[in-house]
Formats: sequence, structure tokens, C-alpha cells
Amino acid sequence: MKREKPSSSGVVDSPLDARTQVKAREDGLPSVAEGRLRTYEPGDNRGRFLDLLAKRISRPLAVSMTACVHCGLCAESCHYFLARPDDPTMTPVWKADQIRKIFKRHVDWTGRIAPWWVKAGSVDGDEDLNRLKNIVFGTCSACRRCTYNCPMGVDTGLLVRFTRGLLTELGIVPEGVFNVSRDQWETGNQMAVTEEDYLETLVWMRDELRTELGTDDVDIPVDKPDCDVLYTINPREIKFDPRSIAHAAKIFHLAGESWTMPKWGWDQTNFGLFSGDDRLGAYVARNVYEAAERLRAKKIVISECGHGYRSTRWEGYTWAGYDQTRPTESVVVTVKRYLEEGRISVDPSRNTEPVTFHDSCNIARSGDLVEEPREVLQRVCADFREMFPNRRENFCCTGGGGLLSMAEYRPLRLEVGKIKADQLRATGARLVCTMCHNCVDGLNDVIKHYKLALRVVQVLELVSNALVLPASGERTKQSS
Amino acid sequence: MSDFLKILENEVQLAALAFLALVYTVRLGWIFRFKTRRDRTAAVGNERAGAGYSLMNVAMPWAMESTRKRPGFYAQFVVFHIGVAAAIAGTLIIPYAPGLFEIRPVVILFQAVVAAAFVVGLVRLVRRLTNPVLRRISSPDDYFSLVLLIVWFAAAVAALPNRPEKGEWPLIGYFGLTAFFLIYVPFSKICHYLYYPFTRFYLGRSLGHRGALPPKGTKGRKTRRAGEDAA
Ligand code: SF4
Ligand code: SF4
Ligand code: SF4
Repeated sequence: MKREKPSSSGVVDSPLDARTQVKAREDGLPSVAEGRLRTYEPGDNRGRFLDLLAKRISRPLAVSMTACVHCGLCAESCHYFLARPDDPTMTPVWKADQIRKIFKRHVDWTGRIAPWWVKAGSVDGDEDLNRLKNIVFGTCSACRRCTYNCPMGVDTGLLVRFTRGLLTELGIVPEGVFNVSRDQWETGNQMAVTEEDYLETLVWMRDELRTELGTDDVDIPVDKPDCDVLYTINPREIKFDPRSIAHAAKIFHLAGESWTMPKWGWDQTNFGLFSGDDRLGAYVARNVYEAAERLRAKKIVISECGHGYRSTRWEGYTWAGYDQTRPTESVVVTVKRYLEEGRISVDPSRNTEPVTFHDSCNIARSGDLVEEPREVLQRVCADFREMFPNRRENFCCTGGGGLLSMAEYRPLRLEVGKIKADQLRATGARLVCTMCHNCVDGLNDVIKHYKLALRVVQVLELVSNALVLPASGERTKQSS
Repeated sequence: MSDFLKILENEVQLAALAFLALVYTVRLGWIFRFKTRRDRTAAVGNERAGAGYSLMNVAMPWAMESTRKRPGFYAQFVVFHIGVAAAIAGTLIIPYAPGLFEIRPVVILFQAVVAAAFVVGLVRLVRRLTNPVLRRISSPDDYFSLVLLIVWFAAAVAALPNRPEKGEWPLIGYFGLTAFFLIYVPFSKICHYLYYPFTRFYLGRSLGHRGALPPKGTKGRKTRRAGEDAA
């Protein structure tokens, strides 16, 4: 492979750290032993990579490989390039060209006629594959902002995910990607939360809520059959933000919802989206769908999570080969309906600080929800203000594409977070609201790094603050 | 008109066109060899509306931030491609409807359009040579295709008056380049128009299915309201 000048970010030179992969093999982890989770083995990875590329490529991806005219118009849609305007390797087109040239050389027959003429190229070995790993994992959050800005309709975000998937099959992945994939394969959730921890946290939140509302009527049911709603969450809620579960439970209780959480199949996040591993994607999504089936729930409701929403609502059914048979929606849509139907009442004067909204790319660009969160926020906040650009043109929080789990790319991620920081600062808001747990962490990193006077909140927290309790409940609460 | 020019304007063009059609047919067959996956989710939006909107993107500079923020870029795109269409039309008008180019204003109009495209071509070439991003990503084909088009535009401007009696070289240059073009195009970036309908269709269909395209508020967009997401 003809070497191009390495990116001055230094990211492309990050070595492959396969220590935890070796350990997983030595420990005989079932996911590794059964071949579901692939580990790195030095050898003919080049051949396997090329085989996989030819075998797996779909028509929409093949045309995205061939259609680029090198106009460069996508460059300024990417926060990486905007923050590093002197570095062409940060442009979407350059990143996509790193896989495109291999496609041209090995799959596209027109590129084989005179490879140098169309800049087709190959990979020499694992060192080149490791460079490719650093480009697709380390310099792109797969946010698809460039996709929406390409006149040809080239889907660079998807090309990046596809390439990640090929490398994941070879174990040529950042250590963090391997670790989270391993946990999700082994435990069914990406933070290796045990069933005991999960159930204890739910009981803890139930008790807190009972104290807050002054009634024992409120519950967080688990594995209750025949409910209208099966509520699924992000493991981060159990580990770091259990209050978000209490907010949801409070809202469900006041809305008189018939709901439950499953004992198994509760993780709606899906690292398969980030690693490009459709098998993992299918496994995790199927757990959720089968939980709904088992409990005969009428609807799946997904807590606030960008990639979880995209995976469970959209991609998961296709990965799992599972025809959607029941409505699957974001909890923000559920709450919006409660407000519209008068099932809950809110008082916006309880949220007086200026609030802005960060659209998660996975929800706004790769999903369908743009106006719904705004409609909720307009009802529960006294001072809502847009950030610019917004909706499908919003910039990524910088933590997308699983980047929060990849420590080696953190310095570059924070550097390009300047774009998000400028955007946030210009709003003059004190709170930035997002409907994604991943964005919460991404935004918090940016806020800390750029010393912004902002706090990150989620939609349910603001709704919960604004809830007007029924008279008796309010009395009990005041007297307690 | 010499026999050579006559053959060049007719038989040679038709043979080159047939070659182009053949390679395109093979190319389309190659594209269809790749599989697509059925979306198993219940739609929120409308696939057809999404695909239609996406395909119309070329005529909607306001639809993308990248073109909205750079109206000059979009204007150049329009001028360049109208120039291409006019220069192609010229290769058909001269042999099959020469009467049209006996009307002087028509010739002047065609020349003006192609000349404008020629200027845009030069601007694009300068940009490709001087912009560090474009320099980094450009292949020899990117440069060659652009230079070829610029030269072809110049040849078209010279040949469009269609006066072989005043010298055949402009017409020989124009038709010779056109024949070369027809053979070269399927192997170059110039055939991007063959892929445009595919990329745009698949992107638009998928985002249309999810209700992301056309953007909310677009006239004629039919979507279910929140909560009507029946599977
Ligand atoms: S905007 Fe699209 S066609 Fe232009 S360089 Fe970027 S990916 Fe290629
Ligand atoms: S998907 Fe996002 S991060 Fe990746 S290249 Fe495109 S705009 Fe940049
Ligand atoms: S973390 Fe949030 S903003 Fe960032 S990519 Fe995911 S959904 Fe997008």
C-alpha cells in the first residue's frame, strides 16, 4: 500500500493493543471459544480482509464506494476537519477513500484496469490494517453529518461502519471496542451489570420514589406479563445514573401506565452499531424483542439513548432478521403522548434556567425524532432556546461511534470538540438537554475541557422536575 | 465536407456510443450483483417520498448546508453541467439537425453556454490544483477528466457554427474528442451520473422509511403522528 503522509494528529500511528484479547482467549470465554467474538491472530489477515470486503458489501455501499467525485464539498460538514482545517486527512472524503481505494483495487473491475490512474490501492499486511483501524475508529464518530451534505448521496458514515465491521472480524480493533463487545456478548449488557446489581438498583430506586411521593403504590415492576409497555434502558443508568430510572418510573406511575422492565433483555444499547458487528447487533436486539415476546408486552419503550434508539428501533430488526411486530418507541415520544392526552400535568416554571437542546445524531440523522423532544421541552421549560445549527444539521457531541470507550483517541476527540463547545457557548444557556446517555458523557467531556458554564440534563429529568403531582400526592410529599 | 469528417460525425460517433452503452450495461449488471437487505421495521415515513426528495437534491441547493453556504459553488455546478448538456446536444444537432445551427442566435446561445462552462472548468482546475484538500484526494483521472472537458468545451465553441467550408479542423477536433470521451467516460469519474440515481435512491429510501427525509414541514410529506407507530 502506498503510504500517505500520516495525519498530524498522530492518531493513525496508535498501535494495536491486543492484550485483553489474548486474555479472553486464555480464559476460554464462551463468546471467544464459540467464535462469536473474534480475536486478533497474526497471520493472513490481509487475505481475510479482502475476502470479507468482497463478500459483505451491499449494493447501497457499493454505489457509495463508486459514486464519489472528489468534489470536497463534504469537508466542511465534519467537525474533525472544521477543528483541524489544515489537515486534509480529517475530511470525510479522505477517510472514506482509505477503504474506497481497496474496493477499487480488489472488487471494482474498472479500478483494476489501471489502478494508479484512479488511486486504487491495496493493503500490505496487519500494519496497514491497523492504520485503517485508527482512521475509521479514531477520526470519525460515524455521525453521518457528511452523508447529509454530499451532493452525490455518498454515505460515508455507513462506509466507516462497514469498514469497522470488517476489522472487528479480525480483532483489529481498539482495546475499548473489544472490551465492551466482550461484555455485551458475555453478560447481555455492555457494562457487565450483574442481574443482582440490576434488580437491587431497581428496588433502591423504587424505595426512593416511594419516599419522594409518599406512597407505597408506586412500583418498578420486573417481568410482569401482559403490560402495555416494556421499558428498556441503558446500563449506564444502573451504573451511574439510576435517578433516570426513577424519573421514568415516576412519570409512568402518574400517567397510570401499565408497564414493566424485563429481567433479561433490558439493555437497549448495542455496541454492534459502533463496532460494525451485525452479529452482536442481532444478538443484543433480539434479546429485547424476545423479552417483549416472552412477557407479551404490547409495546417496547426505549429510554433516552441515541444509539440505543437507532439500534433497537431501526437497525436491530434487520440485523436480527426479525420482522417488527410491535410498536417500538422512544420514551420521549411516550411522554409527549402523555402530555397531549393530559395523563400528566406539568408546570414549566419549575425549570427556569435557560435550556438548549442537543440533537443526537443517531436519533435526528439516522432516526426520525426531531420535533418530538422540542415539543416536550417547550411544555416543561420556561426558557427554551435552540442551538445553531440544530436538528439534522447539529454537530456530534464528539462521543459518538463508541469513541467514549477508546481512550487512545481521546486527545483528538477533545480537540475537535471545539466545534461543539463554540456551538454550546453561543446559546447562552445554562442547561444543555439531550435524549442520549452517550451524549451526556460526550457533552460533559467537552464542557469540562472547554470550561463552559453548562450542566447536561436529559428530557425525563426536566419533565420529572416539572411534574405537578395530584393534590393528595402533593400533600403527602409536603408533610413528609 | 470530407468523407472523413462525415464518417467521424456519424459512424464513429455511433460506434463510440454503442461501446459506451455496452460498458454501461455491463456496469449496471455488476451493480445489481450486489445484494440489498429488506428493511424489517414498520415505517414512520414514506420510502417513495424520501427517495423522490433525495433524487431531486440536485435541484435543491437549499436542502444541504454545504450548498446553502456556498451558492457560488452550486452556481458553478449548474453552469458546468448545462455546458456539458449543450456540448452533447451540439454533437447531435450538427449531423442530424444542422438547420438549427443556421440560426445565428441559436449558435451564439450555445457558444455562450459552453464558453461559460469552459470558464467554470478552468476555475475548478485551479481549485483542484491549489486547494490542499482537493490536491490530497485527487487522482490522475480527476485531473485528466477535468482537463479533457475543458478542452472539449473549447473545441465545441470553435465547432458549433458548423462551417466545414471554412476549415474542418474545429469539427474534427470536436467530434474526435467526443468519440474519445464516449469510450473513456465509463472508466472515469465522469460516469458518476450513472451512480447518482442509485446512491440517492438508496439513501432517500432508507431515510424516507424512517421519516427523516423529506424533512418535517416539507409539503406533501405524509408521516404518522407520534404514537401511531403501529407495527
Ligand atoms: S461531497 Fe460526496 S462526492 Fe464530494 S468528495 Fe465528499 S463524498 Fe465525495
Ligand atoms: S460521519 Fe461525522 S465524523 Fe465521520 S467523517 Fe462524516 S461528518 Fe466526520
Ligand atoms: S453520542 Fe450522541 S451526538 Fe454523539 S454520536 Fe451518539 S448520538 Fe450522536
